[in-house]
Amino acid sequence: MHGNSVVAGVGESTFYARGQSPDTEFQLGCTAIRKAVDDAGLALGEIDGIVSYMDSRNDPLRLAAALGLRELRWSATTWAGGGNNVAGAVQLADAAVVAGYANHVVVFRAIAQGQFGRFGQAAGLGSRAEGELAWRAPYGFLSPAHDCALHTKRFMHEYGISQEALCDVALACYANAQRNPRALRYGKPLTRERYHASPWIVEPFHLYDCCPENDGAAAIVVTRPERARDLRHRPVPILAAAQGLGPSSGLASFQGRWFPGMFYQHVGRTLWERAGVRAKDIDVLQLYENFTGPVLMTLCEMGFCAPEEVEAFVADGALEGPAARLPFNTSGGNIGEAYIHGFELVNEAIRQVRGDSTCQVPEVGLSLVVSGPGYAPGSAVLFGSN
Amino acid sequence: MSRALGDDWTLPLLDDRNRAWFTSGRLRIQRCEACEAWQHPPEDVCGSCQGTRLRFDECGETGRVESFVVVHRAVHPKLEASVPYAVALVSLDGAQGVQVLGNVLNRAPDALAIGQPVRVVFETVPDPEGGHTLHIPQWEAIES
Repeated sequence: MHGNSVVAGVGESTFYARGQSPDTEFQLGCTAIRKAVDDAGLALGEIDGIVSYMDSRNDPLRLAAALGLRELRWSATTWAGGGNNVAGAVQLADAAVVAGYANHVVVFRAIAQGQFGRFGQAAGLGSRAEGELAWRAPYGFLSPAHDCALHTKRFMHEYGISQEALCDVALACYANAQRNPRALRYGKPLTRERYHASPWIVEPFHLYDCCPENDGAAAIVVTRPERARDLRHRPVPILAAAQGLGPSSGLASFQGRWFPGMFYQHVGRTLWERAGVRAKDIDVLQLYENFTGPVLMTLCEMGFCAPEEVEAFVADGALEGPAARLPFNTSGGNIGEAYIHGFELVNEAIRQVRGDSTCQVPEVGLSLVVSGPGYAPGSAVLFGSN
Repeated sequence: MSRALGDDWTLPLLDDRNRAWFTSGRLRIQRCEACEAWQHPPEDVCGSCQGTRLRFDECGETGRVESFVVVHRAVHPKLEASVPYAVALVSLDGAQGVQVLGNVLNRAPDALAIGQPVRVVFETVPDPEGGHTLHIPQWEAIES
C-alpha cells in the first residue's frame, strides 16, 4: 500500500432534482471545487492540476480561468464510458502527485442533465441510427438501463437470484439516505411493499432499481502527505487504485467472453494485489449503483462473495446502516443521496475515514470506492487511515 | 411485413460494417479469412489472430434466446405505442460465440423464456432514401 498521496479536502454543491439547479453545470463545478479547496485549507491559486472523466464539458482551461489558477501543471481525463471512471480519475490525480508533476490536484465531476441531455433518453434519435446505435435502435434497445437489465436478467437466471436481492440493494440506499440531510431522498423512506408496487422501467428493474438523474457537483483535492500535514483536516491516504479491462462497447459486452458481466474481475485482482488486502478486510464500501442488479454482480466479481451466495449476502439488512455486515453506500449513494455521476461516493468514502459521515462506521481503516459497473474500463480506489 | 416497433420507427444508417446484416436477407456475420473466427460487432482487426482480412459469412438461420429484457418505459415518444416490448439476446447456432439483439415477433413478452429456440425472419423495408432495400433480421420462436 503506498499512501504517497492523500486527499486533503472534499466539497460539493447543493444537490438538485434533474433540471432544478438554478446554477449552470459549470457554476456547480466551480462551487464544488472552491468548497473542496477551502475544506483543505488551501487557496485556489495553489491548485495546479485538474482531472475529470467522461469528456467533461467543463474543460480545465476554462476552469483555470474562472477559478483564477496561477499555473496548471497537470490536466487529464480517462478513456471511454462514464461513471466507470470515477475511481480512475482519482488514480490519475494520484499518479500525478506521486510522480511530482503537480502539487495540488482537483478531481471533480459536475453534471446538470437539465441543462444538457439525459443519458437514459433517446429523444435526440433521428430517423436513421448510426454506428453502435444502428445495431440497437431498430430493436428498441437504447438506454443504459436496457444494457444493465440484459446482463442482470441472465445473471439472475444462472444463479437463481430473486427480485428480493435487487430490492435489498435499493432498501439499503434509501435507509442510509434517511441519516443524511444532503440526500435528495432524505425524509422519503422506502419499504419492500412500495418497491414491489412501483412500475417496471425495464424488467427486471422496477423504478427503485434505477438511480435518478440529478444536478450537482462534487470535488476532492489530492496532494502529497508532507504538504497536507498543516492543513485543516487529517489527510486521507490513497492506498491503492486500479483500472481494468473490458469490452469496448455495449454491443461487445453482450458477446460470449464478457456476458453476463460487469468487467470488475481484473479491477479486483489488481487492486487486492496492489493493496495487499482482500475484500473481507474492507470496513466500508461505496459501490456505484446505476442500477441495483449490477451491484450484485460487481460484489461477486470484486470477491466479496460468490454468485451462489449473493442473495443471502445482501439479505436481512446486511448492507444497511453503520453496523451492517458490509456497510454500503453510507450516504445513500446514487439512488439515495444524489446522482452526481458517482463522484459523491468518493466524498463519502473520505468522510468515513475522517469520521464525519452521517452514517459513520466505527474505526474505519479501509474505505473502498468501486466505480460504475457495466461499462469498461472499470476502476476502484482504496482510501485508508495511516 | 410491418415492423415490430412501428413502421415509422428509426432505421439503421448503413455503413460498411452493418450493410451485410441489414440488407442481405441472410444472417451474415463478420469472419476472419485466416483463422475463421466469427466476430461481432465487426472490427477492423480479428481479435483472435489479429488478421486484417475479414469478410461477412452466412451462419444458418437459427439461434437461442440467452437473455431478454421487457421495456415498459418508452425512452422515445415513437415507442410509446409499442411498450411493453421485449428485446432478446440471441446466440447464433452457426457462429460460435456471437450473440445479437432482436425482437421475438410471435411471443408476448410474458411468454418469452431464456433457452427459447428461434429462427430468423426479416422485416423488409424500402430504404426511404432510395438506397438498398433493408431486410432487418428479427426472430420467431420455434419448437426445439
